[in-house]
Amino acid sequence: MIKFDRVTYRYPGMQAPVLREMSLDVEEGEFLLVMGPSGSGKSTLLRCLNGLVPHFYGGIINGRVRVSGRDPVALGPRGMADAVGFVFQDPEAQFIVDKVEDEIAFALENAAMDPLLMRKRVEEVLDQLGIAHLRHRSVNTLSGGERQRVAIAAVMTLQPRVLVLDEPTSQLDPQAAEEVLDALVKLNHDLGLTVVLSEHRLERVIQHIDRILYLPGDGRPAIEGDPRTVLGQVSLTPPLITLAKALGWSPLPLTIKEGRQFVKQLEAKQQAPHVLISSAQPPVSGTPTAAPKSFAISVEALSFSYNAHRALSDVSLEVGQGEFVAVMGRNGAGKTTLLMHLVGLLKPNQGRVRIASSHSSAALDTRQATIDEIIRVVGYVPQNPNALLFSDTVREEIAFTRLNHGLPPVDDTALLEHLGLAAHAGHYPRDLSFGERQRVAVAAILAAEPQILLLDEPTRGLDYQQKDALVAFLETEKARGRTIIMSTHDVELVARCADRVVLLGDGQVVVDGQARQVMSESLVFSSQINKLFRDPALLTVEDVLRLHQPRNRGKITHVPNSGTSLN
Amino acid sequence: MFHTLTWVIWLIAAAVPAFTLRNPLYLVLVVGASWIVYLGLGRTSPVGRSWGTFLRVGVLFVAVAVAFNALSSHFGTLVLFRLPEAWPIVGGPITLEAAIAGAVNGLGLLTILAVFATFNAVVDHYQLLRATPAFAFQVGTVISIAITFVPQMVLSAAEIRQAQRIRGHRFRGIRDLLPLVMPLLATSLERAIQLAETMEARGFATVLSPDSSELSHRRAIWIQVGLLATLLGLLAGLFLLTFVAGGSIWGWGLLILSLAGMAMLLWGQGRQVRRTRYRRVRWQGHDTLVAIACGIALAAVIAGRLAAPHTLAYSPYPPNSLLPPFNPYVGAALLLLALPAANQVRASESEQTTEPDGIQQ
Repeated sequence: MIKFDRVTYRYPGMQAPVLREMSLDVEEGEFLLVMGPSGSGKSTLLRCLNGLVPHFYGGIINGRVRVSGRDPVALGPRGMADAVGFVFQDPEAQFIVDKVEDEIAFALENAAMDPLLMRKRVEEVLDQLGIAHLRHRSVNTLSGGERQRVAIAAVMTLQPRVLVLDEPTSQLDPQAAEEVLDALVKLNHDLGLTVVLSEHRLERVIQHIDRILYLPGDGRPAIEGDPRTVLGQVSLTPPLITLAKALGWSPLPLTIKEGRQFVKQLEAKQQAPHVLISSAQPPVSGTPTAAPKSFAISVEALSFSYNAHRALSDVSLEVGQGEFVAVMGRNGAGKTTLLMHLVGLLKPNQGRVRIASSHSSAALDTRQATIDEIIRVVGYVPQNPNALLFSDTVREEIAFTRLNHGLPPVDDTALLEHLGLAAHAGHYPRDLSFGERQRVAVAAILAAEPQILLLDEPTRGLDYQQKDALVAFLETEKARGRTIIMSTHDVELVARCADRVVLLGDGQVVVDGQARQVMSESLVFSSQINKLFRDPALLTVEDVLRLHQPRNRGKITHVPNSGTSLN
Repeated sequence: MFHTLTWVIWLIAAAVPAFTLRNPLYLVLVVGASWIVYLGLGRTSPVGRSWGTFLRVGVLFVAVAVAFNALSSHFGTLVLFRLPEAWPIVGGPITLEAAIAGAVNGLGLLTILAVFATFNAVVDHYQLLRATPAFAFQVGTVISIAITFVPQMVLSAAEIRQAQRIRGHRFRGIRDLLPLVMPLLATSLERAIQLAETMEARGFATVLSPDSSELSHRRAIWIQVGLLATLLGLLAGLFLLTFVAGGSIWGWGLLILSLAGMAMLLWGQGRQVRRTRYRRVRWQGHDTLVAIACGIALAAVIAGRLAAPHTLAYSPYPPNSLLPPFNPYVGAALLLLALPAANQVRASESEQTTEPDGIQQ
């Protein structure tokens, strides 16, 4: 179905080729996962399949590409449109028409398809993707997951034999990502559609894929093979696989179900009854914060509604100095609304929010204090770093924040090094990868030296390596005594660095407690490792490794958060 | 539900009096008719909410026009008060006639706004775009994209403003625009490129007939040469008409010939574009009815202008009367513009007429 024969491609103006002597053979009906660190050429490879590379990007391509018998290099994307369906990363920038049904029909209308046939195709596709109930909606009112499914539907109407998706879930929250990935699995199973997917959220798809192509991106040749073989050789893996490799489990378990077999063996071998593990002292990060000295932020009976929709009702919360709190909850539960109250962008309808400030003796009440007073104490990193970045260089971004705050210019080398940005100090921020851009945004906020740092969905769009870097950074900040509050869907991140979890549901605080306790009692908000062991003392790979000192420790190829460089 | 073409006819019938008449009685009738149509049909549409805003802007126009005209035009006999003669422009008598003349001018603008606001609220924009003539389909596509694109940009702008604000950014001068404009510009550009890539990947440009691409390419060149030629003909005709004495017959001839040629070329170009429609709105009985009513209203205005222009025009300045003249036939005909609203009850009960084609056949 897809055949690459020694393909080499170089972007215009670049010295080194992105793809080097790439050969690949994908059978009809296969589900291929393309993975690798950012910038390793995943997107480039996918764009070769429908001729966007080289037709849209220019550059020089050598070698032979064939997709269902056609040559994308000769035909270009237009000629390949009915053979290859291509779905992009950004769910917001793929729509031409405002209404879902019209968007799906648009390509067919332009292909001058017979109206009766068109009608049938549209109905079929709506059912295949399970979006028939959305047909009359405007695309601007859809959630991210719904949008991506509409985008898939829009390319499926032309009945391509290959579906190519470039990180379709990286901008989505976990629930929405599951929707999209489940839809893909269904298309692959039910229709025998060949699917080529690049993705870094592996937990969900790994048991459904037939093959993995790993692009290391540093000039080494690609690794290709069945999931177990490839995952055994690479370091970008979900916690379950990382643990399995560290403990030498074989064959590698791909699901929690498979993993539990090994857990039983492990417990039997160590003759450590379950009770013993539980009674083991939880490691440092889980120790209860001994009655906080004084609060950093205090929220009292906060209620807020907009457009007659009650976003927060009667939320009370006190965050101590130096505490690390994760605010969790499904979409629309009020996480971002709460954070915006903490930085004074929104003012409570009822109740009050107070912020301790070292600049004044009394705590700041967000209703009276100006934003300028509040932001001297609170730094807020928005979800989308693109909203912040505008300067020519990373350095200027930092200088701009300091100027705004009336702070003297400072040597930013330490800050940049701390965030792994030292090499990019003079670069244009928007040229950087998403993970790097996000760190620039963090740097731009930290430049004002706030005592409290708020982060809104910091792991959106990051791969495993970038997440490790983020965890390392957050732990250093915590150790330095900064109070951190982040809203996130990422249970693994919370398991690794938060002290406390506040679970919001429908604008109310549902649970507020120690991270370890909350996560082990929850089914949804629980980490992979915790699902595996069902033990509050074991949330992360490190927890398990600390307990089960493996004899073959020397073989560990990769343990998150230890020795990972910020990159 | 009315056909898109019906609404275009309504727009023409309502806009012609709004643009050409400066008699407050007729203008008020047109505003009233638009308002009734809006109340009957437009209120439920998502864009309908902007109607009130349009009207408020119109009222502002009236106020500004009254003040401007009253202060700058000192004609008339009914003096309200006097400003010192020494003041430039505004000095002198301030008259009721001048104020009224200003109000009527403002009312004209308000009427135009009301007509377009109503059209905007009742018409299905996507249907309207799909109704663009085939030769202009690319323009239609661009506008369609803009309609999908703009709300996202508005959201992005709000997000950027907020993000910069909590970074300590304050708006003090024109230089402070940069942190707001640059991210928006960059985001828009990135989105636009992404969209272009999406369209390319979905084969949107394959609208020209795929067979005999060499032939159609050559045809496209000839059509462009032809369009250029007719355009030159048009210019030459206009030149003859305005500058050359006695050239009017030649001028008109050239003008008509060029326009006819241009229409034919565009039609030929449109035929090359092959598209089908997913949904097609049927032309129904009530469409014919409204079209006829709009035709009568338009005809009454034109006939009134030709046969009895003094009953349509209005000027408050002496020696004219302050009271505007009124032709009851034209007035009654203008009320016909409210007819679409009468269909509201029936329309809400009748079956969906915008179902995809398959169902109807």
